[in-house]
Amino acid sequence: MRWMILCIVSFCLANSVSAAATATHVGMACASCHRQGGSESDPAARSHRAGGCVSCHQGHERIFDHAMGQRSGEKEFVQRSYGRFDSGFWEKNCNSCHLKGCLDCHSDGGMSTPSVAACQRCHNGYYTGWDYSGRAPREDNIRYQRGIAVNGAPFLKMLPDVHYSAGMTCGACHSMKSLAEGKKSSHGCLDCHKPSPKVLEHRIPAHLQRLECYACHSAWAPQEYGTFFLRFRDQRDKDDFDLTQGASVEYLRSAYLKKQDAPPLGINSRGKVSPIRPMFIAYYTDIMTAKNNGPENTLLAAEWRAYFPHTVQRGSVTCEACHDNPTRFLMEPESRRIYNLQKDGMGLESFWSQRGQRVSNGSFMDAARYLRMSSKSPAYTKAYITKWKTFLNRVENSSQN
Amino acid sequence: MQIVTIRHSKINIVPLLLICLLICLSGCQTRSKQSSCVRCHKGIEHVSKTHGDCTICHGGMPREELKENAHKGLFGSANPEYIGRWENGCAPCHRYQFERMKSNLMYTAAGMIRNTQLTWEGEDGNSYTTHGEKQFDASGKHFSPKPVAELDNLSGELYRKFCARCHVGAETSGVYAASHASGCAACHFPWNNEGTYEGNDKTMKGKAGHSASHAMTPLPDTQVCSRCHNRSGRIAFSYQGLYDGNNGLVPTRNGEAGPVMTSGARNLTHITPDVHFAAGMTCIDCHTSRDVMGDGFAYRNMYLQTEISCEDCHGGAADVPRYREIIRENDEALRESRSYKQPNTYGMRMIQTAKGRPYSNVFFRDNIIWLQGKQSGKLHRSKVITGTPEHTIVGHGRLECYACHSRTSVQCYGCHTRYDKSKTGMDFIKGVETPGAFSETEDYRMLYPFPLALNQRGRISPVTPGCQTFITVAEADGSQSKTEYVSKFKGAQQLRFAPFYSHNTGKKAIGCAECHGNPDFLGFGQHIMEGNTITGTLICERSDSKPLDGFLTMKNGRVNAYSAITRENSRPLNGIEVKRTLSVNLCLPCHDKARDPIYRKGINLRALDDTLHRQLLSGQ
Repeated sequence: MRWMILCIVSFCLANSVSAAATATHVGMACASCHRQGGSESDPAARSHRAGGCVSCHQGHERIFDHAMGQRSGEKEFVQRSYGRFDSGFWEKNCNSCHLKGCLDCHSDGGMSTPSVAACQRCHNGYYTGWDYSGRAPREDNIRYQRGIAVNGAPFLKMLPDVHYSAGMTCGACHSMKSLAEGKKSSHGCLDCHKPSPKVLEHRIPAHLQRLECYACHSAWAPQEYGTFFLRFRDQRDKDDFDLTQGASVEYLRSAYLKKQDAPPLGINSRGKVSPIRPMFIAYYTDIMTAKNNGPENTLLAAEWRAYFPHTVQRGSVTCEACHDNPTRFLMEPESRRIYNLQKDGMGLESFWSQRGQRVSNGSFMDAARYLRMSSKSPAYTKAYITKWKTFLNRVENSSQN
Repeated sequence: MQIVTIRHSKINIVPLLLICLLICLSGCQTRSKQSSCVRCHKGIEHVSKTHGDCTICHGGMPREELKENAHKGLFGSANPEYIGRWENGCAPCHRYQFERMKSNLMYTAAGMIRNTQLTWEGEDGNSYTTHGEKQFDASGKHFSPKPVAELDNLSGELYRKFCARCHVGAETSGVYAASHASGCAACHFPWNNEGTYEGNDKTMKGKAGHSASHAMTPLPDTQVCSRCHNRSGRIAFSYQGLYDGNNGLVPTRNGEAGPVMTSGARNLTHITPDVHFAAGMTCIDCHTSRDVMGDGFAYRNMYLQTEISCEDCHGGAADVPRYREIIRENDEALRESRSYKQPNTYGMRMIQTAKGRPYSNVFFRDNIIWLQGKQSGKLHRSKVITGTPEHTIVGHGRLECYACHSRTSVQCYGCHTRYDKSKTGMDFIKGVETPGAFSETEDYRMLYPFPLALNQRGRISPVTPGCQTFITVAEADGSQSKTEYVSKFKGAQQLRFAPFYSHNTGKKAIGCAECHGNPDFLGFGQHIMEGNTITGTLICERSDSKPLDGFLTMKNGRVNAYSAITRENSRPLNGIEVKRTLSVNLCLPCHDKARDPIYRKGINLRALDDTLHRQLLSGQ
């Protein structure tokens, strides 16, 4: 009965008020939110710093001053890359995630705490957020753009983050307060978890001192190697490119290669070992220029970012996946090279070679440190053998077929 | 040896010259007085020195002046498959090759049809080939397969509408980089990427549906093979170091999709090529004529027709390559080498294939195995590995060479095939358009790492999805009678992997820890380990508990196989084998070289508890 009343109330409100309000707002006078009229009647609009909301929700308007509102990192990237060739690139291709007001996030089924889906309206595709629900971007050719989709965007089905599986929303770690303060999150891993010394890897002091928890516990991460923006002045030239149309009809986006396995590692701004991924190894082709023998596939940036993939699992990869894997630190030996970028005129010798690339918010691991890390000290050997022994002692000889 | 050759040539050369002269003279007379062929087709290339008058191969009326009349009776021109052209044109002289081709899998496509059946409706107790001609089976007995036109189900239709384009009995035209002639000409009169004639005959120049030149190619090059072997296993691409991977159509080339384009609007990027390709070897330098043209017997699948193996030239762990001396004048190795830069001679010791037949270009001389490039004439020295410590590791006896020596192995995950009854599709065997069109989409492609499993020889081999087919059938009214359906295989609804040699061989093998320490190679797909559980991270759309890119899971220490490996006697590794493989990790941090003496005998894991190891491991 209570639910029915609530439904009726919210239905009535939805009809009478532009945005549905939750029960807490029901008893309030309209004017307590809608204080101004005319073009500023929307109490939640960013244009007047959500004047109607912040009289109660004080300080929350500061979210507009930080990353989600300003997107200065992204803007600076565009300025130093694609912006050099097209000053309107940002407006054409990057404007769909523009924060316009409180209701961007707080509008699902009444004014509410945002659901995971609400966050993922912007935090999707290659941007952190989709991965939390076990979604990885598919290759751009329409041959691969198939299968289960959300909001029209098909994704590769991946193992979701343990926190997602446990029913936690983004807000559990990213409180409104923290976002308004310009912090990335309200909770770090260690606020809730204490690394158990029962886990062998946790008993290695260097692991706890020098690694982010998520260097090991990120099960996978979407990685885009070679992001291409192709600029079309003549729409007919698009015929041979079976790619999905993005925000701007002037452009098509594609990639040389996408992966979603355990991410490469580098050093983040805190000086800790962290997952890193290309963001972006950016190429630009103006189709018309290229057709007139002008430059094409111009490498505008080869930048990586240290980041936290939201793909946390209790388990991890095996020891040698880091300690015996120089490729993971962008030190791929030439004898192991698969992709021949030079032959394709890509301007880099390999995606997994540090040469010609940089980490925009940290650094790559230096060769001497990797050498130390991969040298098999007695302590490493002992731990390695213990690890495998413990595992193997618990593997059955029989199998189900 | 040289003296013998010279004496032979002295005896033979005089009558040969006379015969040639006569042929030439008669040819000239015929052409100038009677043949209207070369009057129109002026400048056309000679097929070869031994091929004579036009009408011998083409038929037609060479005395007629008008094109319409002169072309009457041209062999096979009325038939879309040009059946009759090679029967009448090539077969009268090349009976041996022609009869072999009739049982050859590239002509019968029996393997493709059977595998398609296994993926869709399952076998129905009959054998099918493209045309259903009578054949001899491998034991020499007559048998009569049915023509695929009679396979009246989705498998038959899929073959006829999709796969039949690569059947060498039929011409394929209008497909960029994948068009070819039918019959013998499919390989011996190669088409260029556009399928146009670009020779000196002005009447034909630029016309589509013809070989690039009228001169015959006795020894087809890699490009010829890649006209067909560019899908599914894509071996012709991997061999050359090309990858149609993600189909991103970048980097562009001159403003077009690139960097290299091929059939089906696919772009190719460059990967490290096969070590044999890098050395200048072509497909036919390894593959014998019996591999590619058949040996006269009908086989069920290509892995049964193929007669070569790596061990033939490089030796096995215990056995060195075998050779046989040329002692007869009708030895195949003599006849087949006629077009090589250095034809074989009596007394040469020819290396034998796995089926015990001689290679025509691999021989043993001065204690060395040499391979002669069939077109290039270049001599390649083959390294024999027999008895080397790296290749006599106890426990590696069951490994195929290419389990370790494949650089990459193409894996196409998730093949989503849609059959739409509201559209029509061309039936390339029946030659008519019929209701029902097929289309395909895909999930994910990768090269490395690749899973291993037991193949039909009981050997551990790379395997690749073959196939992970998900079937959707759309009825004429738009409703779906099947949605993402997985068919039954060996009695259970399951996806399949097939043993596979990717043809992207590397000199350097996959490292010991690289393989033993990474359960990806055992078929777990990309994964994480927690306690005694291995969990895949790339998941099948149809089941939350099954990784898409593998066929094994381990839950609480128990190995579970949920996909099948195709072919008789094939299977994923079982629990004991998985455990044994992973147990090597207990030795690898110290004993990290394959030549380490501990690997000459079976690993004794108890050694870890002896005094020496205890001391070492405690760091004292």
